[in-house]
Amino acid sequence: MAVIGILAIAGIIAMAEVPRLRRKGHKKELWVFMLLLLLGTGISIAESLSVKVPNPIDGIAYLYKPINDFIQGILK
Amino acid sequence: MVRNEKISARQFGILVALYSIGTTILIVPAVLAEEAKQDAWIAALLGVGIGIVLVGLFIAVGSLIPSMSLVELMEELLGKWLGKAVSLTFIFFALVTASELLYFVGNFITTQIMPETPMQSINIIFACVVVMGVRLGIETLARSAELLFPLFVFLFLVFVIFVSPQVKVENIQPVLEADFKNLLRAAIYFISVFSLPTVVLLMVYPASVNRPNEAKKNFFSGVIIAGVTLIIMIALSILVLGVTTTQLQIYPSYSLAKKINVGNFLQRIEIVMAGMWFISIFFKLSLYFYASVTGLAQTLNVKDYRFLTLPLGVVMVALSMLVHPNTLHSFEYNRETWLSYVSTYGLFLPLLLLGVYAFRRKGRQDMATSSNETKSE
Repeated sequence: MAVIGILAIAGIIAMAEVPRLRRKGHKKELWVFMLLLLLGTGISIAESLSVKVPNPIDGIAYLYKPINDFIQGILK
Repeated sequence: MVRNEKISARQFGILVALYSIGTTILIVPAVLAEEAKQDAWIAALLGVGIGIVLVGLFIAVGSLIPSMSLVELMEELLGKWLGKAVSLTFIFFALVTASELLYFVGNFITTQIMPETPMQSINIIFACVVVMGVRLGIETLARSAELLFPLFVFLFLVFVIFVSPQVKVENIQPVLEADFKNLLRAAIYFISVFSLPTVVLLMVYPASVNRPNEAKKNFFSGVIIAGVTLIIMIALSILVLGVTTTQLQIYPSYSLAKKINVGNFLQRIEIVMAGMWFISIFFKLSLYFYASVTGLAQTLNVKDYRFLTLPLGVVMVALSMLVHPNTLHSFEYNRETWLSYVSTYGLFLPLLLLGVYAFRRKGRQDMATSSNETKSE
């Protein structure tokens, strides 16, 4: 059910923007638009099916951990 | 299209003030009370002082090439590919933080106001307003900020006047008891939420401000207004609720609003007061989102950023449900990782850009003098 809703919204967004971009002949824009929309819908659908999606913030926390520990060490 | 948009210096000052107040007003009192106990307001004072110095740094970076936004400046100074790569991480930073703010909105409403509404629906509705605002452009956002700012000031004054009868001075005594290290830790946390994210405003200043020189002054006054607002809010939280209650709340200023009681008649008006932080969070979120959308458009060298708003809005909502599985996770992230993450862009990146600019100019001068010398020979 949720998946259908997400797809419908993605469809509406695509219908609202794609004809305008195509009319102007913006190829690069069209590609970027489709890619981002695909990314957004993909994550949304994965979430609604409770598939585990990697959390970007955990990645950041992992990357910054050494600097972090250093700063916390100074301040403690 | 993007280039034609200009906001006035006054509007920019208001945007700075609302942006700096943003989420700080909701979440900061608890952490400051935990670190510095009853001296939290002193830590905030210290933080505002450092924040003003940081504004000087941001203005210096903005003045390097006044016609360029931060992303364009990076490409100009760091070279095409490195500049684009750094820009992309900056855009990622802005987008993830925007979705984190959206998570805060959803979390605040579902835990405090409407516990039975699913968070998704609140996030989607709030994101719709933000996407709409950004689609209409920075001019529209700035004008609505100008309109809503008096309402914000009015709510804040009502808040302060109605809460002040319950002030207990004993709560703040003894003054200056916290040792310096705790005070410093609290102040650093404060600037990591209050002034380091202001770097995002370099996407607006000075390229989209019609009188950049006047806007410099308003940049400072905006930060000072926001700082005073926050110091008052933090001081009131401690004066009324006391240190223990303040540090145990997730949203102390909301609990503070619940305390309002005028003659046993005017009570429980906290939801009206919540209008105050909806205004400030809306502008903070919109500016983060604006920065990521325009940044991406400028990195890809496309003229119009508007077509990016809807798909990035979908990504933002999807991320907002993903970034923090629970409150504890967000708490940990904000206390630990956030400081170094935001410092990368709020402190290190401006310094790097200034350094590169100075280095390149010196190099150019050296080249100019040496070519002159060869000519004279």
